[in-house]
Amino acid sequence: MESEKKKFPDVLRKETTRRGFLKGAAVTAAGGAVALATVGSIKPKVVEAAKPVEKPALRYLFAERQNCTGCRACEYACSVHHTGVVRPSVARVHVLKFKNVVDVPVICWQCDDAPCIEACPTTPVAIQKDPKTNGIILNEKVCLGAKCSKCIEACPAQFIRRNPDTGKPLMCDLCGGDPKCVEACLEQSGNPQGPCLMANKLGFGVNQAYRNVTPEEAGEDLMGLLFYPNKTGERRSGS
Amino acid sequence: MTAPKGGNFGKILEIDLSRQKYKTRKISDDECRKYIGGAGMGGYFLTSEYKAHHDPLAEDSFIFIGVGPLNGTYCVSTRTSIVNMSPYTGLLSHAEVGAHLGNEIKWAGWDGIYIKGRSKKPVYLYIKDDKVQFRDAGKLWGKTTEDVDESMRQEINDPYARTAVIGPAGENGVPFAAVIIERFRAAARTGTGALMGNKKLKGIAVRGTKAVPVADNKKFYQAAKAAKQLAVDKEGWQGIKRWGTAGLLELKHWVSGSLITKNFQTTWYPDIEYIGGEEANRTFWKRHVACNHCPVHCQKYGVIREGKHAGLIAEGPEYETGGLLGSNLGVSDFAGMMAMIELCDAMGIDAISTGGVLAFTTECIDRGVLKPGDLDGVALKWGDADAYLEMIRKMAYQDGKGGKLLAKGVRKMSQEIGQGSEAWAVHVKGKEIAAHDPRGDKGRGPSYALGTCGGDHHEGGTPATQARWAMLNSLVMCSFVGGYPWGKETPGIFTAMLNPLCGWNMSDDEYWTTGKRIITLERCFQVREGISRKDDVLPKRFTTEKLPEGPKKGAIFTAEDTKKMQEATYSYFGWDEKGIPTDKSLKAYDLEYLIDDVREAKKAL
Repeated sequence: MESEKKKFPDVLRKETTRRGFLKGAAVTAAGGAVALATVGSIKPKVVEAAKPVEKPALRYLFAERQNCTGCRACEYACSVHHTGVVRPSVARVHVLKFKNVVDVPVICWQCDDAPCIEACPTTPVAIQKDPKTNGIILNEKVCLGAKCSKCIEACPAQFIRRNPDTGKPLMCDLCGGDPKCVEACLEQSGNPQGPCLMANKLGFGVNQAYRNVTPEEAGEDLMGLLFYPNKTGERRSGS
Repeated sequence: MTAPKGGNFGKILEIDLSRQKYKTRKISDDECRKYIGGAGMGGYFLTSEYKAHHDPLAEDSFIFIGVGPLNGTYCVSTRTSIVNMSPYTGLLSHAEVGAHLGNEIKWAGWDGIYIKGRSKKPVYLYIKDDKVQFRDAGKLWGKTTEDVDESMRQEINDPYARTAVIGPAGENGVPFAAVIIERFRAAARTGTGALMGNKKLKGIAVRGTKAVPVADNKKFYQAAKAAKQLAVDKEGWQGIKRWGTAGLLELKHWVSGSLITKNFQTTWYPDIEYIGGEEANRTFWKRHVACNHCPVHCQKYGVIREGKHAGLIAEGPEYETGGLLGSNLGVSDFAGMMAMIELCDAMGIDAISTGGVLAFTTECIDRGVLKPGDLDGVALKWGDADAYLEMIRKMAYQDGKGGKLLAKGVRKMSQEIGQGSEAWAVHVKGKEIAAHDPRGDKGRGPSYALGTCGGDHHEGGTPATQARWAMLNSLVMCSFVGGYPWGKETPGIFTAMLNPLCGWNMSDDEYWTTGKRIITLERCFQVREGISRKDDVLPKRFTTEKLPEGPKKGAIFTAEDTKKMQEATYSYFGWDEKGIPTDKSLKAYDLEYLIDDVREAKKAL
């Protein structure tokens, strides 16, 4: 938290509630979406076959949580990219089913201040940011694995999980600038539900706000946003 | 015994609740190839382990929660199949259900869970990979499904575990009690809820962290990716993405003339506009929800926003639930209908059978053969959602004379009541039928009358589609994945995935033979229990009463239709004129172990 205050004093000094914080974020998120729409589709189109296609260097992943259908295509794509087979337990991105009513995509928000890197106790630091893509790269040789859980504790989004085989943290490397989860989400959810995962260069500080919400809190938020029509909350027939 | 090369682990988790022990049962690659998994594998266990006339509620009766080779792989929309001998009908029954449970079982390293025995005290199971915990469910007993599901996952402290639980209906032994998967999906129609209640098993939670072995990963991935693309692109299925199956409610009323109404008296129900997909979209739905890796996301969750049910979160209406608990009860109050659907889920009771029973009872009252006094003063009448809600609760708890009577189901009720009530008792082989009127939609006739379980909408309309369905239920794939299970893509699309996945060289012919084998072995079980041609018929109402109105006015399921569908099925699968598999076909399907049983059963028929 100390380092966070140093780097982002304006945001953190404001005594707003988390919810108010999110509302502000939602407005900027909409702006981000518009910007994305005008920039064009995520997949670059080949104009001339002769020209080599340059992959866009992406900076941030973003999850429009309301749009998640809980299909887990992102987990599938992530684990296939990293291990070759479908294995959600080692997927970086994952989906939490909250109260079995809403689905919360849990992603790495590529925080500018990267608390996980700050927290890493090894020298040299086992976790580094790829300056080109903003993805987090884990040096497995240096990482202490199951003996240490500093980065896991430091992650404000509670994104980091352990690899069940090695005990090492599962870090989102943004697939070298072409996140497979975004691709999978786009083709999967399609019409009528828009895709939930996006990646672009514009962080707008939105990611810095969203990352402070734990998956459970995000689930509560979604429940409130979508499913509680009144202050009394949910009504269950059985109880 | 050769172990499977891929797709399957060759391991079934065998749980004995009496001794609170578990062990691994090995299955060979040969068995996997012959019976695939899911419904087929469950049918194989049932036919090979049970003798004829087994008591479905005996201590050694088992529940098989099966998955198929494609579960847990890149293939889209894989499901779970629950197979057991139904305490309701006394026949082999299988229920296929969506959500994520099946894949979690696979990732835990199992090809299925086989549960036998009976616990002394209420328990629930927590299966994490190879480990099984038997946990005390004393505090959970009596709770409704959504509460139990939440408490269970809190107790085991694993938010990513997937659950299957029973509600009060299962605990109280309602024979058509369902198992509720992840709060909103029901594995109903098999009476598994009652069986779990009998075993004092409140629920299971599963979490897996492994990967499914694949024989040829590159080839399999290509084939699965191509199949997924089909599911994404297929135009005809975009409607299901948008409306779920609720959109069919309007369609079946206006176009097909098969929307069941007021205990199957007609198919014309103009009030559908108040309870159909359009109304749900306008006033109820909040989000689209998908099962595993599914691009179709046909589930719709919503919340009632005003009135006395405000705050009620429910899934649907789906075509079946909206038909049975909406139009079939003459209900035009959307919130009331959704409350009924939600209550069925909460109580863990089969919404289809419940709708059938309530409609039958209402008609009995209409015709004066039952009095409200027989039902503890609950005056059921068409469209009265409040009375129906009260009755569902009474049924689930088997409360009072009325609750006990209705929990027996339509067949037993009509036998007890008599007075000509068989004329409007709509059931096949003792099970209430789903929400498509076979007079308007003739293809449903064979599905109800000749499908393995009876009254089932997850069976085929023609003999060839029955084989298709058998394969889908054994691969445990959803039928909504973009039409390829129904088109000319099958079986090529499946063999292209299965061969590199499992290291097989399955041909198209073998695919169809496997489907036929599975249907036939299921049939052998039913034959042993005394099922034959005489039972492969539709309820009297469909063969004696013409549709009075609607787009299919005057339609009726004639004796000729019945004869045609029976003979087509029998000859396709190689059964004799009584609907009993012949020795020759049993040999051809490699089911020699059933020959003696079937011969024995034939004598009694």
